[in-house]
Amino acid sequence: METSFAITGKGYVLVAADTTAARSIVKMKTDEDKIKILSPHLLMAYSGEPGDTIQFSEYVERNIRLYQIRNTLTLGPSAAASWIRRSLADSIRSRRPYAVNLLVGGYDTSSHTPELYWIDYLGTLTKIPFGAHGYGSYFALSLLDRYHDPEASLEEGIATLKRCLDEVAKRLVVSPGKYLVKVVDKDGVREIEI
Amino acid sequence: MSIMELNGGSVIAMVGKDCVAIASDLRLGNQALGLSSNFQRIFPVTDRIYVGLPGLGTDVHTLWEKFRFRVNMYTIKEEREIEPETFAHLVSSTLYEHRFGPYFIEPVIAGLAKTPSGGVKPFIAATDLIGCLNFAKDFVVAGTASSKLFGMAEGLWEPDLEPEDLFETISQALMNAVDRDAYSGWGCVVHVITKDKIVTRTLKGRMD
Amino acid sequence: MNSLAQRFSTTSPLAHFRKIQRLADEDEDVSDAAWGSQAGFGSLTKGVPTFTVPNLPDPTAFLRLHTDDHADPNCRIKIQHGTTTLAFRFQGGVIVAVDSRATAGSYVASGTVKKVIEINPYLLGTMAGGAADCQYWETYLGIHCRLHELRNRERISVSAASKYLSNLVYGYKGMGLSMGTMICGWDKTGPTIFYVDSDGTRLKGDLFSVGSGSTFAYGVLDQGYRWDLTDEEAQELGRRSIYAAGHRDAFSGNTCNLYHVKEDGWRFIGNFDISKMHYEGPGDVPGAPGGGYGYALRVEGKSSANPPVAEAAA
Repeated sequence: METSFAITGKGYVLVAADTTAARSIVKMKTDEDKIKILSPHLLMAYSGEPGDTIQFSEYVERNIRLYQIRNTLTLGPSAAASWIRRSLADSIRSRRPYAVNLLVGGYDTSSHTPELYWIDYLGTLTKIPFGAHGYGSYFALSLLDRYHDPEASLEEGIATLKRCLDEVAKRLVVSPGKYLVKVVDKDGVREIEI
Repeated sequence: MSIMELNGGSVIAMVGKDCVAIASDLRLGNQALGLSSNFQRIFPVTDRIYVGLPGLGTDVHTLWEKFRFRVNMYTIKEEREIEPETFAHLVSSTLYEHRFGPYFIEPVIAGLAKTPSGGVKPFIAATDLIGCLNFAKDFVVAGTASSKLFGMAEGLWEPDLEPEDLFETISQALMNAVDRDAYSGWGCVVHVITKDKIVTRTLKGRMD
Repeated sequence: MNSLAQRFSTTSPLAHFRKIQRLADEDEDVSDAAWGSQAGFGSLTKGVPTFTVPNLPDPTAFLRLHTDDHADPNCRIKIQHGTTTLAFRFQGGVIVAVDSRATAGSYVASGTVKKVIEINPYLLGTMAGGAADCQYWETYLGIHCRLHELRNRERISVSAASKYLSNLVYGYKGMGLSMGTMICGWDKTGPTIFYVDSDGTRLKGDLFSVGSGSTFAYGVLDQGYRWDLTDEEAQELGRRSIYAAGHRDAFSGNTCNLYHVKEDGWRFIGNFDISKMHYEGPGDVPGAPGGGYGYALRVEGKSSANPPVAEAAA
């Protein structure tokens, strides 16, 4: 089952997504990158209907880039999240909606604040300190209520994230094997080995 | 699974003596799973009008953006602020535009209307999800806890409550109603609108 | 075809019922009235409790169609659902913790349900699924545990008690019984937990959680669990896990009932309001960290903002 997590910490957002691309009962690929880098300080983990996920995430990526070219300034995390939400809200009432769930994490370079937004395929948006999509949320949210620290260092944040991944591996019947983890902070976006 | 119950949430509005109050819970859920305890579903339209939008989470945002746009256009064209009753009709016709593919929201409107003599007159209204207006003299309710809110409001409301008493009444009605509803709760927010000020209070509700 | 075969088969559930009913009818010399009540456990005079079943060629199929089953959530007869219960074994015995909310649809029907059934001073049963099913069959189990004690001059083992219950409910498989229960206790072998459900599953284990909020409880429980937990730590972990489920799951909440089973039987630790635990914590009890469990309270005043040092100083 597709699972993604994201948590904020002192000056960063950690985003993790599983790397399996499944079709029917078959794992087609086990190193798929499902976290898109939308801008120098913006990440988006996506999951949902195969095909829709790729199409929609690339649509978002190109539009954020277009805005940057036209206006020579980049959309901040909250503005980007609002635009993405609106795209999904319009899509849900169209003839063929995108079925894509997102976690948008970014670092606001003007207020020096990491921000995380939870968005589902209906266009529901909420700002949260930590979040998850998929069955993983049923195990990880209670755990994060207990262990999440908004002022955690990157090392502590990774340790908390590992708790989530371990818990899902332990309890979820069809748990994903590998995860890809990216972090966004004042220095931009980078991938992390865990 | 009902689409009106997907995200949960409830709103209530009450009339007092030269004042109105509107209140809602703060939960955003995904069926049984609670996601957020600070989800805003009551929005200020003007200095004297508030609108509550209980229902599907995505439409709370979409509809509010639409109302804000239309109210701004109204203000620019008419060069005056919109009146509560006019706004209620704006809400109604906006919803009816989508008669055959509705927004899953049942708005609640609370405000103070200007009288020719320069005073104010309390106004509350609610509509269903396709814009059937319901003007009430006492209170209106909507959302997943509406049946429980009706019971509480019928029992507690009385005419001509002063702002502080109205606050107490609406708070008690809402808090006790949402405690009996699985999909509402996780804290409440109450706005009391009087002629010269608006008092907004966030209440600590049960968190389970 | 299947139902026709069942009608004449001697091993089908229907045949089983016919046999029970026939036996009960033959046993005329013992009057129901002698037991004071014709309902409830009065029916025990006939050896096994008897129930009226739908008078149809295939009662199982009929019940499956019309009562609440995993197969069809849109059926006519709704049984109360939505619960969080947990039990775990550790160095100091067994901790049993449950919530107290009963819901019917979105309506919170009660916030003061007793979901731990005290079978006898050494055995506890938890309640998830159909409230009536759990209450009836676990009380019935209590009767048989006592009979076992009288017949054999020793207490029944947790294993035997849970097997008894498991066999019982398996006899009604497919007829809409709905229960997910943990039979917990202390016997010759030490602290023991068995998970028993109406499918007929019976599992021995160290740590279980059952109900709609079980995933949330597992999240906290797994991360805090160790065999060598102290009594205070274990009680706190049970309480904290039920709080987590009560908080996140709409169908769990209100209060937490906590029990601790030791060598000399179970002890009721207390009843804790989940909302009070959120804001103030469980109060002055052993193992409590002090302060509310709520996330917002725990991180109050903390910020993820990371302004440059010069700016922060200004």
